Amino acid sequence: MYLRPSMVEEALAALAEGGPTTILAGGTDYYPARVGRPLTEDILDITAIAALRGIGERDGALRIGAAVRWTEIAEAALPPSLRCLQLAAREIGGRQIQNAGTLAGNLCNASPAADGVPCLLALDAEVELASARGTRRLPVAEFVRGNRRTARRPDELMTAIIVPRCAEAARSTFLKLGARRYLVISIVMVAALIEAAPDGAIAAARIAVGACSAAAQRLPLLEAVLRGRRLASGIGCLVAAEHLGELAPIDDVRGTAAYRREAARRLVARALDELAAEAAA
Amino acid sequence: MEARITLQVDGERRALTLDTRTTLLDALRDHLGVMSPKKGCDHGQCGACTVLLDGRRATTCLSFAVAHDGAAITTAQGLAANGALHPVQRAFIAHDGLQCGYCTPGQICSAVGMIEEARAGHPSHVTKDLTGPVALTDDEIRERMSGNLCRCGAYVNILAAIREAAS
Ligand SMILES: Cc1cc2nc3c(=O)[nH]c(=O)nc-3n(C[C@H](O)[C@H](O)[C@H](O)COP(=O)(O)OP(=O)(O)OC[C@H]3O[C@@H](n4cnc5c(N)ncnc54)[C@H](O)[C@@H]3O)c2cc1C
Ligand code: FES
Ligand code: FES
Repeated sequence: MYLRPSMVEEALAALAEGGPTTILAGGTDYYPARVGRPLTEDILDITAIAALRGIGERDGALRIGAAVRWTEIAEAALPPSLRCLQLAAREIGGRQIQNAGTLAGNLCNASPAADGVPCLLALDAEVELASARGTRRLPVAEFVRGNRRTARRPDELMTAIIVPRCAEAARSTFLKLGARRYLVISIVMVAALIEAAPDGAIAAARIAVGACSAAAQRLPLLEAVLRGRRLASGIGCLVAAEHLGELAPIDDVRGTAAYRREAARRLVARALDELAAEAAA
Repeated sequence: MEARITLQVDGERRALTLDTRTTLLDALRDHLGVMSPKKGCDHGQCGACTVLLDGRRATTCLSFAVAHDGAAITTAQGLAANGALHPVQRAFIAHDGLQCGYCTPGQICSAVGMIEEARAGHPSHVTKDLTGPVALTDDEIRERMSGNLCRCGAYVNILAAIREAAS
């Protein structure tokens, strides 16, 4: 069966029935996985639900609807703290993929190499999950549990991603490394957010690394080292191997674990240096 | 399950009844006989199936036709209104922007959509100045066309064709 409701309630009612239902947003993760396989489950297409569209402010936080596509994120006028997410948006696949794929789909698919996850970790974002039983909110770090594992219950629909307002001075960036520039699964990606006082003293740092563990991870050891330091040229030199303890990279065709660990260290350092250069400019 | 939908394809209203699991690409090719969108990979990787869907670039292998009831679709063959080639099509011929030609309809639709996006000021990954209109430098064109692969490697001439058509 193919359902394309226009109201959230209809979608939740369909999910509450408990049959095998696949939620479909942009389909850019869904279709490649289904090619050559008979399709037997019901499809719940959420792209016609107006309430899931748009980016807006609510209760002082930014609310990104679950049907919002990467292109809309890339083109929206957002505060500079969200630059990491906008940079990631412009590098997802090619433009055709950005025109179809959603941030919510990226999270729900929960690939270790999902570019949206480190960005949302650095932004301290939460997800909103709705079911016929009610609505709950979860930090992204609790929602993404591992390789293609999330805390979503079968009857739940992700309705929005909620990004709390950051300090005016917060700046962020996103860097990713692949074997080539386009259309490859990332080897490492880094999202970094720094909030510095006018004299350069770092008040808060949130750094997350993806593709180096089953789910992207924050680097609390490094964040603690950075707090109180000055955001200035050379800050990248502070990043040491022992700060990457949360990471558990694997050996695969794209690179060895040792290579990934070193690449992660350098990419984190580069992200910090970029933020320092931007602050100095 | 079957569904009845209508699509506005290259300016013509087409009604069709199809299995809800039919992709938009298969609907165009197998049901409507519109052959210019090509099936290169069926995975969203190559861009050969690109059309303009309500004006935006879309890979038709990555969507079900039923999700687009009522949509306006422009394919490469529809860009040549009344037989007169679109400026992007003329530039591809003038610059020999193809070899086997399999990727070409997708490249052309993508280029047409891309030129519009740049005119509207939409930034790409390589755009430095996010405030003004976007100048389509070679780097910008390459970046913005990255969703379209050419197995023959005709990229040099594709770039030249788009550069001319965009100016
Ligand atoms: C050529 C190509 C290149 C790509 N490049 C990148 C890349 O560079 N970086 C990257 O991170 N990803 C990339 N991807 C993967 C994909 O495009 C992204 O993960 C995208 O954000 C997925 O969103 P979607 O809306 O298309 O998801 P869908 O395919 O529609 O859904 C993905 C999964 O999430 C579930 N889901 C979707 N929405 C909801 C919801 N609201 N509530 C509950 N469950 C939901 C679906 O059931 C499905 O399991 C690429 C894919 C392709 C085909
Ligand atoms: S056939 Fe659709 S992208 Fe390759
Ligand atoms: S011309 Fe042959 S694939 Fe591009």
